Amino acid sequence: MIFNIDTHGGVPIYRQVIEQVKRQIVTGQMEAGEQLESVKNLAERLKVNPMTISKAYGFLVQEGLVERRRGVGLFVVPMQRERRQRLKSSMLDEALRRAARLTVQMEVSAEEASTRFAEHLEQIASQKGGVQRTKRGSQSGNRKGRSQA
Amino acid sequence: MNAEPVIQIEKLVKQFNYSTVIDGLSLEIGSGRIVGLVGANGAGKSTLLRHMVGLYLPDKGRCRTLGRDAGKLSPAELSRIGYVHQEGALIEWMTVKQLIRFVAAYYPTWNEELEKEFVKRFELSLETGVGALSPGQRQKLAILLAIGFEPELLILDEPAAALDPLARYKFLELLLQIIQDPRRTIIISSHILSDVEKVIDHALILDAGKLLRDCPFDALQEEFERLRITSLNGRLPEELPLSGVIEYERSESQAVITMERLPAEELERIAAEHRFDVEVNPISFEDIYRIVVERQNR
Repeated sequence: MIFNIDTHGGVPIYRQVIEQVKRQIVTGQMEAGEQLESVKNLAERLKVNPMTISKAYGFLVQEGLVERRRGVGLFVVPMQRERRQRLKSSMLDEALRRAARLTVQMEVSAEEASTRFAEHLEQIASQKGGVQRTKRGSQSGNRKGRSQA
Repeated sequence: MNAEPVIQIEKLVKQFNYSTVIDGLSLEIGSGRIVGLVGANGAGKSTLLRHMVGLYLPDKGRCRTLGRDAGKLSPAELSRIGYVHQEGALIEWMTVKQLIRFVAAYYPTWNEELEKEFVKRFELSLETGVGALSPGQRQKLAILLAIGFEPELLILDEPAAALDPLARYKFLELLLQIIQDPRRTIIISSHILSDVEKVIDHALILDAGKLLRDCPFDALQEEFERLRITSLNGRLPEELPLSGVIEYERSESQAVITMERLPAEELERIAAEHRFDVEVNPISFEDIYRIVVERQNR
């Protein structure tokens, strides 16, 4: 499994691991019964503290997304349809909310925004290539956006 | 994990020329932790670390390391501790290779494989005289001598300060390899926060000889957050209905606020009640550090 860990953005690494494993499970990139990489391997590969990985895995077990089989390792648990749906929605909501906010701020009409969204959807669904670039500093107040009282 | 803490400090006071450098500090570090000790220059980081290896003795209070008064550590106990500091004295007239062999001879646990890998990765020139090394090369050699015997307690005082960015990166990579051994305790001090944030699991923030934080690093990262609030009905109230605000900047309809983290439900409630659109962002370790120190000194 491929991870993309950002160590300077302020999001604790264990949270990033949880989110990314969750996403893979929800999107079906990891299937029920599939084994998670061992704590040691993953820590070495991502070059992070092993305790960070154990902590992330601990949360995933607690949330019932994976289960521990003694002496073997961690495995993805089959997920109920409703739960998968719920998790999918909440992941999508995050991105949509950002788009909606921008739409209102720029005073673009809802109609125009919906059309654009449909176009993007179409472009990706029909497997046309495209590039999305995150512009530095475009995510408001993220990193070093300092403000003094 | 060992039940007994590796480091146990109680009400430690240290003064130099009537100025207090460590000010009644207490601290426990459990086995297997990777601890980051951060603070400005002059905060007392090196002084604190020196107490741990018995180089300084407390004026008041006490400091126990591996279960013994640090000032009375026996040679056998000292040989379980690796210590890298900034002005390390090395034997100048030897070549790098000679010094490595000389030090290795004292330790039955010396790891030659690690040594070879280190020499290769950091391009240590074995035939150069120690006295002729650049500060960066010297620091690399000092690090090798401190980790080569696989100490169970590794104390690194600003280990990367003399290294260039690429060597720093390689060093952190190596450190991450070393910490994969869960029995090893590592204490690493730095004023370069980005150096330590990837490796540590516990954070100590030291300022003017006092600990301002002693907590899991994850908890520290989640202590504060930055909100961008946009009023959905045009105007934000004069007084924002939030407590724990540390810094803010606002216009009539928007505000960016750094604050103590609120429970998610409470934030939802406030947003709904006041018609706020709220975007929550994490803040960087640099900002967290600055906030913690500035609040203390306000």
